[in-house]
Amino acid sequence: MRVEYINPFVEAAFDVLKEVLNTDIKRGELYLKSTSKPVLGVATIIGLAGDVEGRILLDMAPDTALKIASAMNMEELKELDELGKATITELANMITGQAVTKLHDLGFRFDLTPPSIVTGKDMVISDSGVEALIVPIHLPQGKVEINVAIKEKA
Amino acid sequence: MRTKSDFPNINAKKPDGMRPEGTPFRVLIVDDSMFVAKQISQILNSEGFEIIGTAKDGLEGVEKYKELHPNVDLVTMDITMPNMDGVTALKNIVEFDPKAVVIMISALGKQELVKQSLLAGAKNYIVKPLDRVKVLERITSVLKNL
Repeated sequence: MRVEYINPFVEAAFDVLKEVLNTDIKRGELYLKSTSKPVLGVATIIGLAGDVEGRILLDMAPDTALKIASAMNMEELKELDELGKATITELANMITGQAVTKLHDLGFRFDLTPPSIVTGKDMVISDSGVEALIVPIHLPQGKVEINVAIKEKA
Repeated sequence: MRTKSDFPNINAKKPDGMRPEGTPFRVLIVDDSMFVAKQISQILNSEGFEIIGTAKDGLEGVEKYKELHPNVDLVTMDITMPNMDGVTALKNIVEFDPKAVVIMISALGKQELVKQSLLAGAKNYIVKPLDRVKVLERITSVLKNL
């Protein structure tokens, strides 16, 4: 996977998180994750299909998801209920929307699927034939991982 | 004790959601995201608009519009939704009521669909993330120019 695919997502995540949470954020080191490693617990998945194909995962611990959803709703949510999940999904929508604009400007053409959110302990997401690149982003609410697995269409 | 009447200017601005004669503008919100729908209603409620209905997808949006017609002054329409997308729903609403006032709510990266919507009769659009100032500016500018 080419690193240039992940940068627009990281930049978009930075911009959007900064804007909606109104807070300072730090970017961690890029790393590769083998697909047999479990995700953090609340994962929003958006699929890509077109010149390139794959998926984006916005991954975070349940506690972080709850804190982010609470901050975005300006009220304390007690659990990640329907509203909480809709909030995290919308966050993923805003980030990918912005990233895709950047990728389209670079000449890539593809469509996105609507986001799905999955929650649970020790979930493993498997992508055949493409490794996932991950950039952790550190917020006061915890860590959010931008997990991108994209390949050019064969 | 100080009461509100001691500060006559604080609330002197007429809320954006009211007509000059004092009745609220009535809004139908069509959005599959509970979060976005709630955000829009909070912003509009705080300015005196009346949320007359909400719908979770384009199909339901068109049905609600027909049911509530002629009591809807404004529709906020998400673009990406299940069952029927916002552009198709917009076209159906405009076909039913050519005077319908529809404002599209779009994520970035949907410029082509926004363009299609404007050509199909949407009056304006708002790009997410939504903020209060942006939402009220776009909506009031549309209502002023009716």
